[in-house]
Formats: sequence, structure tokens, C-alpha cells
Amino acid sequence: MNDARNLWSHRLRTDFRVALAVALALAAVPLFVSSPYWLGILVVSIYFALLALGWNLLAGFTGQFSLAPAAFAMLGAYGTALLDYHWKVPLAIGIPTAIAGTAFLGWLLGRIVLRLKGPYLALTTLSFAEIARVVIGNSHEFTRGDQGLNVRTLMQSRVGYYYLFLAVLVAVLCGLYVLMRGRAGRFWLAIRDDETGAASRGIDVVRYKTLAFALSCAICGLAGSLYGTFSQLVSPELGLLLQTGLVISMVVIGGMGTLTGPIVGALLVYLSSEWLREVGNVQLIVFSFIVIVFARFFRTGLWGLATRRR
Amino acid sequence: MLALDLFVNGLIFGLFYALMAVGLAMIFGVLKVVNFAHGEFYMVGAYTYVLCAMKLGVPPWIALPMAAAAGAALGWTVERLLMRPLYAGYGSWSIMKDEYAVVVTFGLSLLLVNLVDKIVGPYPYRGPPLIETSRFALGPVMLNGQKLIAAAISIALLVGLALFIKRSLWGRQIQAVAQNRLGASLAGIDATRTTSLIFMISGLLAALAGALLAPLINPSPDVGSFPAIKSYVIVVLGGMGSIWGAMLAALLLGVSESFFAVYVSYDYRDAFGLLILMLVLIFRPQGLIGEKGRDV
Repeated sequence: MNDARNLWSHRLRTDFRVALAVALALAAVPLFVSSPYWLGILVVSIYFALLALGWNLLAGFTGQFSLAPAAFAMLGAYGTALLDYHWKVPLAIGIPTAIAGTAFLGWLLGRIVLRLKGPYLALTTLSFAEIARVVIGNSHEFTRGDQGLNVRTLMQSRVGYYYLFLAVLVAVLCGLYVLMRGRAGRFWLAIRDDETGAASRGIDVVRYKTLAFALSCAICGLAGSLYGTFSQLVSPELGLLLQTGLVISMVVIGGMGTLTGPIVGALLVYLSSEWLREVGNVQLIVFSFIVIVFARFFRTGLWGLATRRR
Repeated sequence: MLALDLFVNGLIFGLFYALMAVGLAMIFGVLKVVNFAHGEFYMVGAYTYVLCAMKLGVPPWIALPMAAAAGAALGWTVERLLMRPLYAGYGSWSIMKDEYAVVVTFGLSLLLVNLVDKIVGPYPYRGPPLIETSRFALGPVMLNGQKLIAAAISIALLVGLALFIKRSLWGRQIQAVAQNRLGASLAGIDATRTTSLIFMISGLLAALAGALLAPLINPSPDVGSFPAIKSYVIVVLGGMGSIWGAMLAALLLGVSESFFAVYVSYDYRDAFGLLILMLVLIFRPQGLIGEKGRDV
């Protein structure tokens, strides 16, 4: 069992290569698929893959089980949309501002929930998510409430958007790989596995936990803000708890604490949910059932099943 | 007179909240996990009541116990199939049991909502009231008849539960397991069966809350989400896991919410409870009334 292939860094490298291969395979898809409808579906599934990667950084790598990823996507989308709607800020400035804003909010939330664990953390992040949604949905003068806001788009071309999302996915993936291979990643894993132990070995737990929160929320904000310009409409529905549920199921099915898992899970869940919707709107029944089964019996997800050594 | 009206109505809603929250608190007390599918126990109760009464023509007074039975059966099934890894000590989730519980109950909640949505349909149903008289005068306050009856039943249930926990053998076993699972097992208490019992009770109470409110709220598949969120607030406010804390906090939340909705903001009444939840968790994790070591 102690051979080099079992070392974390080797497993991570394999993981990263597979994830990169999946992304490269995705790059070839527009050669075969030209229908704007299916390209749109693929863009949304990459949006979910980004959210899943962001949430996985927090839950899978750092052990902080947040229930707010969809809320941060909503905040990112609204950040861009509101800057555009009220102050006519160009998207090139609006999107980075929104990402910085969500990163700051994530850092703040991380500071606030620093001492909370398990169910307490889940409940606090859940309240944060719901409060954000209720406030945005009810501030009619400022956000137009449930009607949503129209956003300018970056470009008209579906293929262009597809490659933009894919490029962002690859960039986030590479960034995460670099982080996970380095000091930060090892510290996060240490915090996940044993927070007290990590602190006793001199790891600055506060700093690395809040860093994970800020980064994870920034990824979600980035995904949300791009998605807003893609769909050209942002509404509080982006932040529904159901969306968070989808993100969690994607990561659990794909494999928590891996890089490939969230991406494959997101693609698998979202694409087949399109198919199941045509079969008869049973996608959520099927996926929630699969999630329960995976959580109960195959904790490591598809990635764990695929890499299990006999 | 408005203030009195608000007070009485808030108190009544507090009673319904208490029915929900007490079960959640008991589950937390024994397993130290939050059941994110608790709202769906409520939903299943409401639907059982409405469908039995409307489709099968069962009289409302018989549909009510049927809803309770459905809730208890659901609670038992959930415990048997999904909660065992939390304490049986097998499987690799044992080091991440909080996460397991969140994922599995969250998934269950999605599953039940969408199953009902698919099988029964997404439209709201209106249940038949338990009593025909629509308005009662309670002193100077006018009340809806169904609300009054439901409140009376809730009081009876809560008092019954309190006596059951305090006095009966099973109730004492529940207290023992909540205090110390291992110790209780060593003393010969079947901790597994007790946990089963707790899930049945909590499913039963939540389902009854749903059934009692069904004529007032017109249940739709996602009807459980708000009562569930209220019960999280209450359980946190009352000190996680404390039954008496939950009862008190439920009344407190019911009353303060009904005042908040009228005097401050109706739109933000749901955010108000959640804000309380966050503040309590951050500044006073043991709850407003809870002490560090507490029973059940």
C-alpha cells in the first residue's frame, strides 16, 4: 500500500490529468453539436461544474460544509447586474467587482462561522443564503424583486460563450490544482481531517479557513456573474436552496474531495436531467434518490468507485 | 385590541411551531444531527390528511390519526434505512457524520417533495376543516374555528409529550440516551430502539402539525420548507436538543414574528427569524435559555 502511486500528490496529479482530459474533450464538443439549445445546456452544466468545484473546495477539501454556494452565485450575478442597471458600469469592470464583492462576503461569512462545526455551520450558512435571497427578492425598488433584472450580454454567440465558460473552468481547475499541490492545499486537508491537530502543529487555522471561504465564494460569484450575462436575466431563483441541493448532489455523485468528481458529476447530473425532463420530469426524483444511495453506500462517489484498487 | 389579537394569533402559531420543533430537537438531542427533511414529515402529514379526507372520503377526525400514523411510519423508515450509519460505527462516513446527515436528509427532502409533486401534482389542495363553525369569539379576540381546535389539540399533544418524556419508562430511556448513549446502553437500554422511537415521535408530531394546518394553508409539495426553517430557528434559539427550550422558543418566535410582521415589515418576517438564528449561533451557541449541560 505504500507504493508511490498511493501518495496524495500522485493521486492529485492523476485526478488533475483526468479532469483536464474531460475539459479538453468538452472543447471538441462544438464540432459535433451545433444546436444552440444543446450548447446552452452545456453552458449551464459548466456553470454548475464551477459551482461544484467552488463548493468542493470548501466542503470536500477544507471540511466546511456550507449550504450557501447557490446564494453566492446569486450575489455574484446581482453584483454585476446591479452595477450595470443603476450605474451603467461596463461588464469588464462589473464582473471583477462582483467577484471581489463575493470574495469579501465569503471571507466575512468565514470569519463569522469560524467556531461553528457540522450542523451549526450548515444552519448558519443556510440562514445566510435564505436571508440573502429574501432581501434581494423583497428590495423591489433596488433589485426589482422577483421580476429579476436584465443584464447586458458579453457576446451573442453561443459557441463563444461555451468556450468562455470552458476557459474559465480550465483556469479554475488549474488554479485549484496549483493551490492543492502547494502549502495551502495541504493545510486545508489537515484542517479537514483534524482541526485541533492542525492548529497544534502551527497551522494558522483561522487564516486558511477564511481563505478557503473567500476563494470558494469567489468561484461561485464568478460563475454566477458570468451566468447572469449569459442568460441576460438574473432573479432570486438563482439562490434557491434547491440549486444548492443540486450542487451538493453533483459533488456527492462525482466524488467529494477530488477535482474530477465535481466536474463529471455536474456534467452527468445536468445533462441527464435534461434527458430525464423529456422522459417525464422525473430528474429530481432520480437524482435525490441516487444521492441518498451514494451517500449511504458509496461515499467516495464515482471517482472513488473508478479508482478503487482491488 | 390589535396587540391582543396579534398576541393570541402569534401564540397559536407558536404552538404549531412547537409541534414541529420538538421533534427536531429530540432528534438533535439524541443523534446531534439536524434533520433537513423535517419539513417533509410535515408535508406528508398534510397530504395524508387532505387526500384521505378528499379522495377516500374518510371523515376528518379519522384522517387525523391516519396522518399521524403516516408520519410515524415515515420517521421509522428514515431511521431504519438512513440514520444507522450515524451511530452504528460502520462505514467511512463515521468520521464525517455531520456531513453524511446533511447530505442524506437534504437528499431525502428533495426526493419526498418531488415524489409528491409527481404523484399527486403540484397544485395546492385544501383540506376539510375539523369543525364547521368558522368563527369563535375568545373574549375580545375573534378566531377561526379550525385554528382554535388545532391549537387545543396541539396543547394536548405537547402536554402529553412532556408527561411521556418526564414520567414514562420510554421517556426516561429517551432522556438517558440523549445524555449519554454509551452509558445508557451499558445500563441495559436498547439505544437503537430508542432512536427509532424518537424518529417515530418526531415524524408523528410533524405530520400532525401538517394535518392540523392543512385546512388553513392549502398544502402544496413544498409546503414543508417554511415550517422546517422555523423549527431550525426555534431549535437553535431554545438550545439545540432541549425539548423544553424548543417549546418556549416556539411560543416566543410565534409571538414576536406576528408582531414583527405587522409593526416592522411583512416582507422580511421570514428573514427576521433566520437573522435571530445566525446571531444566536454566533454569540450564544447554547441557546437563549439552554445551559451547557441539559436534559434531552
